[in-house]
Amino acid sequence: MRNPAAALLLALALGLTPPGIPESRAQPAVAQPADVCAAPAEAMDAAPLPGVFAAVARGELRIMVVGSASTASGGTSSTAATWPRQLQARLAARLQGVMVRVEVFGGRGTTAADHARIIAGEAPRLRPHLLIWQLGTVEAARGLPAEEMSDAVQEAAARLTATRGELTDLVLMDMQFSRFFRANANVEPYLDQLRIAAAASGAQLFSRWALMKHWVDIERLDLERAPRDRRKAVADELHACIAGVLTAFILDGIERDHR
Amino acid sequence: MLRPIASLVRPGRDLRVDFIRGLALWFIFIDHTPGNLLGSLTLRNVAFMDATEAFVLLAGFASGLAYGRMLEREGWASTAARVAGRCGTLYVAHIFLFVVFTAQVGFSAAALDQAAYLDELALDPFGDDPYRAMLEALLLRYQPHFLDILPLYIVLLAMFAVALPLVRRPLALLGVAVALYLAARWLGLALPAWRRSAWFFNPFAWQLLFIIGVVLARADPAWLAKRFPWHRGLAVLAILVLAAVAVALNLVWHGPARGWYPPEPLAAWVATVDKTGLHPARLATVLVAVWLVAHLLPAQARFLTSRWAAPFVLMGQQSLPVFCASIALSFLGRLALEASDGVAMLAAVNLAGLAALVAVGVVAAWYSGEGRRKPTPSLPAGPGTATP
Repeated sequence: MRNPAAALLLALALGLTPPGIPESRAQPAVAQPADVCAAPAEAMDAAPLPGVFAAVARGELRIMVVGSASTASGGTSSTAATWPRQLQARLAARLQGVMVRVEVFGGRGTTAADHARIIAGEAPRLRPHLLIWQLGTVEAARGLPAEEMSDAVQEAAARLTATRGELTDLVLMDMQFSRFFRANANVEPYLDQLRIAAAASGAQLFSRWALMKHWVDIERLDLERAPRDRRKAVADELHACIAGVLTAFILDGIERDHR
Repeated sequence: MLRPIASLVRPGRDLRVDFIRGLALWFIFIDHTPGNLLGSLTLRNVAFMDATEAFVLLAGFASGLAYGRMLEREGWASTAARVAGRCGTLYVAHIFLFVVFTAQVGFSAAALDQAAYLDELALDPFGDDPYRAMLEALLLRYQPHFLDILPLYIVLLAMFAVALPLVRRPLALLGVAVALYLAARWLGLALPAWRRSAWFFNPFAWQLLFIIGVVLARADPAWLAKRFPWHRGLAVLAILVLAAVAVALNLVWHGPARGWYPPEPLAAWVATVDKTGLHPARLATVLVAVWLVAHLLPAQARFLTSRWAAPFVLMGQQSLPVFCASIALSFLGRLALEASDGVAMLAAVNLAGLAALVAVGVVAAWYSGEGRRKPTPSLPAGPGTATP
C-alpha cells in the first residue's frame, strides 16, 4: 500500500459493520495482496450512500451498471474479469449475508442518451439501490455536445429521485485515462462537464480517469503501454484494481452514512 | 536577443491589443496541448472565458481598424474583395491543418497498435469513410478536435464582408449582431455539422463578440473613455464578482473530490453555461474584462514597449501565421506529450513551442517588410495600419 490515506480508508472499510446486520455478516479485516492498488485520496472521498446503506441493512443489494465498451469488456480475457463482475464478487465477499446482485447494461459505442433510455426502461423493473453509470468516452471521442451529456444525466437523476427517492444512489464513472485519447480528443471539457453533472444531480463522481492516471504516473498499471501479448492480463488486472477501489469507495459510503 | 524583436514591432497602434492577442495565441497553443501543466494556469480555469473569446474579440478589433480605413479609402466592393481573399487564405490554411491532424491521428493510432480497449475511440473517420470525411472537411461540416477555431474565423470574416456597409453605422451594426445572437440562442439558428448536430462554435452567436470588437475599434477612444468611465466602486465590484465566479467554478469542478459539496442549483446553473452558443455569462465576462483591462493597462504603459513584452506584441501583430503555426505546433506538442509527460518533456514542449511561435512572428514581420520600415516618432498615436 503506497498511499497511507487510501490504506487508512481501506482499513476503515474493512472494519465496517453496518447496523442491523449481525456481527457475523461482516468480514474480519483481511487484505489480499491482489487488492493492493493504492488510490490517491481524492479519488476515494465518498459521500454517504443512503440507498446502499439501507439495502445492506435489509440483506439485499441490487446494483445496476450502465456503460460503454470499457464496462462491457474493456479488453479483458472474459466477462467474469470485467470490473462490474469483480465488484459483485468483492462486495459479496465483504458483505457476508447480503445478497449482492449486479446487472450490466449498455455496450460498445453507447452514449449517455442511450444509457438514459436504458435506465428509464430497466430501473423501474430492477429497482436498484445503486446505479453506477459509466459515460463520457463516446461523447468525447465523437465530439458530441458535452452539455447534452450532462442534461441526460440530470434528467435521469431527477427521474430516479422522483420514483425512488433516497432508495437509489447514483455514482458516475468517467473515462479511462489514455495518453492517446488525451492527445487526440478534447477530453478536458467532458471531464469537467461530468464533475458538474454529478454535482448538479446529487450524484457522486468516481474518477476512473484520475485513478488510472495515478497508476500510470507511479508506473503501477499502464494498459496503453502493455506489450501486445500481455494486454489481456494487464486489462484483467486493471479491472480488478478498479473493482477493488470501487468496493472500498462503496463501503466507505456506507460507513459515512452510518456515522 | 529581445532587442531585435522589439525593433520589428510596428509602432503607431494600440500595443495593448497586440500584446493581449499575442498572449491569447500562446494560451491557445497551451490549451491545445492537453496534458500540459501550464494548461491549469490559463483563463479557462478561473473564468467563464478563455483565449478563444479574447482571440475573436481582438480579431474583430483588428478587422475594424484595417478594413474600416480601407472602406473609407476604397469603398465597399474593393474592401469586401480583400476580406474574401483573407477568407480564402484562412480556408486553405484550415485544410492544410486538417491534413496534418489526420496524419497525426493516424500516426498515433498506428504507434498504439490498436489496443482493444480503445476500440471505441473512432477518432479517425478516415478509417470508416474516407471519401465522405474528405468531402465533409472541405464543406467545413467535419471539424476534428482542436480544429474548430479557424472555421469559425472564416465564417465570421465572410459575415463581416457582407456587413461592411454597416460599419459606418455602429448602432445598426450592433443591432443586427444582437438580433442574430438572440436568434442563435433562442431559435437555435446554427450551422449543421457531420455526425453531430451543429458546429462546436456557433458563428451566429460568436459574431456578436467579433462585431463588438469592430465597433470598439471604430469608436473614438476619447468618446469610449467618456461613455465607459473608470469607477473605482464598480471596478471593485467587478473584480469581486470575477473572483466569486472563480471560486464557484472550482468548487463545482474540484470540491466534491475533497468533500466540499457545492449547492446543487449552482452546479445545475454552471452546467448550462455553454461555450458553443457563447452563453451570456461568457459574453459578460469578456466585456467586464475588456473594461477592466482598458482602464488598468494604459495604452502608453511603458511595459508594452519593453523588450519583455515585444515577443507577445509581435505575435499579436502577425496573428494569422502565428495562429496557424500554433495549431500545427500543438500537433507536435501533443505527440511529444503522448510519448512522455514528465517535467523535462513539459519544459521542452513549452519552451520550444513559445520560441517557435515567436520565430514565426519574427519571420512574418521581417518578410512583410515591417521591420525595414523605420519607426518614425512623428506617426500619430492611435489606430494605425493593422492586419486582421
